[in-house]
Amino acid sequence: MMDATTVIFYILAALILGSGMLAVSTRKIFRAAIYLLFSLTGIAGLYFWMQYEFLAAVQIIVYVGGIVVLIIFSIFLTQTSGMDMPAALKSRKLFAALAVICGFLLTATQISQHGFVGSGIQAADTGVRAIGHAMLNTGEGGFALPFEVVSILLLSAMIGCIVIAIKNPERS
Amino acid sequence: MSFIKEYIRTVYRAVSSLLKGMKLTGYYFTHHKEIITQNYPENRDTLNLPERFRGEVVLTHNEDNEHRCTGCTACELACPNGTIKIITQFDVNEEGKKKKALNTFIYHLELCTMCNLCIVACPTDAIKMAQNFEHSVYDRSKLTKTLNAPGSKLMEGVE
Amino acid sequence: MLSIESITGSIQDFLFANLPGFFAVLVQFALVGIFVISLFAVLGLVLVFMERKVSAYMQIRVGPNRVGFKGTAQTLADTLKLVLKEGLTPIGADKFLFNLAPFVVMIGAMLLMAPIPFARNVQIWDVNIGVLYISAISSIAVIGILMAGWASNNKYSLLGAMRSGAQIVSYELSAGLSIIAIVILSGSLQLSEIIASQENGWWIFKGHVPALIAFVIFIIAVTAETNRAPFDMAEAESELTAGFHTEYSGMRFALFFLAEYVNIFIACAIGATLFLGGWLPFHIGSWTAFNHIMDYIPSSIWFMGKTFFLIFIIMWFRWTFPRLRIDQLLNLEWKYLLPISLINVLIMTIIAILGWHF
Repeated sequence: MMDATTVIFYILAALILGSGMLAVSTRKIFRAAIYLLFSLTGIAGLYFWMQYEFLAAVQIIVYVGGIVVLIIFSIFLTQTSGMDMPAALKSRKLFAALAVICGFLLTATQISQHGFVGSGIQAADTGVRAIGHAMLNTGEGGFALPFEVVSILLLSAMIGCIVIAIKNPERS
Repeated sequence: MSFIKEYIRTVYRAVSSLLKGMKLTGYYFTHHKEIITQNYPENRDTLNLPERFRGEVVLTHNEDNEHRCTGCTACELACPNGTIKIITQFDVNEEGKKKKALNTFIYHLELCTMCNLCIVACPTDAIKMAQNFEHSVYDRSKLTKTLNAPGSKLMEGVE
Repeated sequence: MLSIESITGSIQDFLFANLPGFFAVLVQFALVGIFVISLFAVLGLVLVFMERKVSAYMQIRVGPNRVGFKGTAQTLADTLKLVLKEGLTPIGADKFLFNLAPFVVMIGAMLLMAPIPFARNVQIWDVNIGVLYISAISSIAVIGILMAGWASNNKYSLLGAMRSGAQIVSYELSAGLSIIAIVILSGSLQLSEIIASQENGWWIFKGHVPALIAFVIFIIAVTAETNRAPFDMAEAESELTAGFHTEYSGMRFALFFLAEYVNIFIACAIGATLFLGGWLPFHIGSWTAFNHIMDYIPSSIWFMGKTFFLIFIIMWFRWTFPRLRIDQLLNLEWKYLLPISLINVLIMTIIAILGWHF
């Protein structure tokens, strides 16, 4: 008999995969975005299930609150987005299905052949305080450098956005 | 630096104007005696309507059942939506002269917007606005009223 | 003394003594679910009535005063009316999403109930990311609104939804930054720890002016995030009939309506927890006698009192200020609230590092 956590895992997995399938197979573009949202929320649920709350919250903030809203906005601003998209070509469907099956088989064989031996390493502390300390730690096991590099990347992206969006007083 | 000064001044002005508004609504919230609405069906007997409230057009009659309407139809012409219809007749006076006089003053309450133009137009102050507002009836035709009382006649001396 | 804590404790003991562990947990889940749903219903009734009364007195009126004692049953009658009404679905609507949207909004509001500390040791889920969880989940509501606006197949709905999306996404920033100011002071995201850090004084008093500024910005931002006047661009009755819920009727409309009020409650509960010490009683320094009297008031009363005080302030805003135009709304956020709260967070960090707060 399965215990409750396993049942929850399978429900979440079914949600993620099912809504993922629907996202690529639906012909209404807005519905595709919503199915994608469900899939991403399901992944956040999986993180919650693993008691990795910080990552789950970040998943929701970034994907649900950010990316999906952005996608929906671009759909809103697109013409004829309310109509059904044309059905995909038969050959394309066939090859897509083949690619999916091949990929699935490859992963499945890899997973089944891998032994998954417990490494004995202590699981990382997933508390926010531990994450914060690790993020700004310059010593052993610290991520200060990658953190700063990423922040510089984000800063340059922000400046780029401003440069694109700024009104040029001379031209207008 | 003047930019920052201006910025802070804008914020200060915005906040103080918002607080001013909140002060007024807060005053009203705490002072219930300021309430201007009335408990209508209960206070029907003591109902206190504002002076300028307009309910319907009435033709005033004095105690001798005399009105001041000469049948000049100025009100009918002034009415923007055909609420008033004056039917006139020709009376013959003692000298044998024909004179235009009011026969029936028909008033369509259902069309009236209480705009007061007829009252302004009336040269003899015959009609005025009453404050009665409980007009609902089950039959629309009841809203078409004859304003001159039966047997009434023109007041002496009104031309 | 009878408190919610002792009631929940005895229920827990009773369940685990009489049922196997798994079923006891299941029953507890069901009880918590019933608690949340009934809290929703009660909140909806109370807050709508409160709003109507507050608005009435602010507009020099009397407000609902017929049904029940002094009109208290008015909202009950209105709810009954809404339940009995037909829930129409427009022909051109995307039926699946149209029917789903109110539930998405509602589930978002329900999930937000989880980490709120209602009283001493009464909290559904004391998650260690507390306020981060709240700002994450509250972004789900915007998806529900966008869904409703799109699925209605109505220009007004779509415009309302787009405005609402732009508004919520931008005001989330300053709301988050003002929350971060308090997180910096208390050094934790967990709501129970944030409350514990206010044992000797609420942050709004202990944190000097920056805490006060953060509080004001928080209130403004949550007013905008819950789509309430003066930021009710998403509904804007005079421009968009009813914005994103124009096409909704009956029970589904009631769900949107309820979710709005529950979201206000949650936002104010978070505000009360972060800035006003949650369920902690009001204490003044060394006035032992005064503090003792304050301790006698149950913690749940303190929490509800603070929350309803904030709700009253938000209602006060609504019935005082005229609606902002969309460009004014975005100007306010991007030119005023965001820079001010960024600087505020910086000042707050300096205060926290140097230990200048009490």
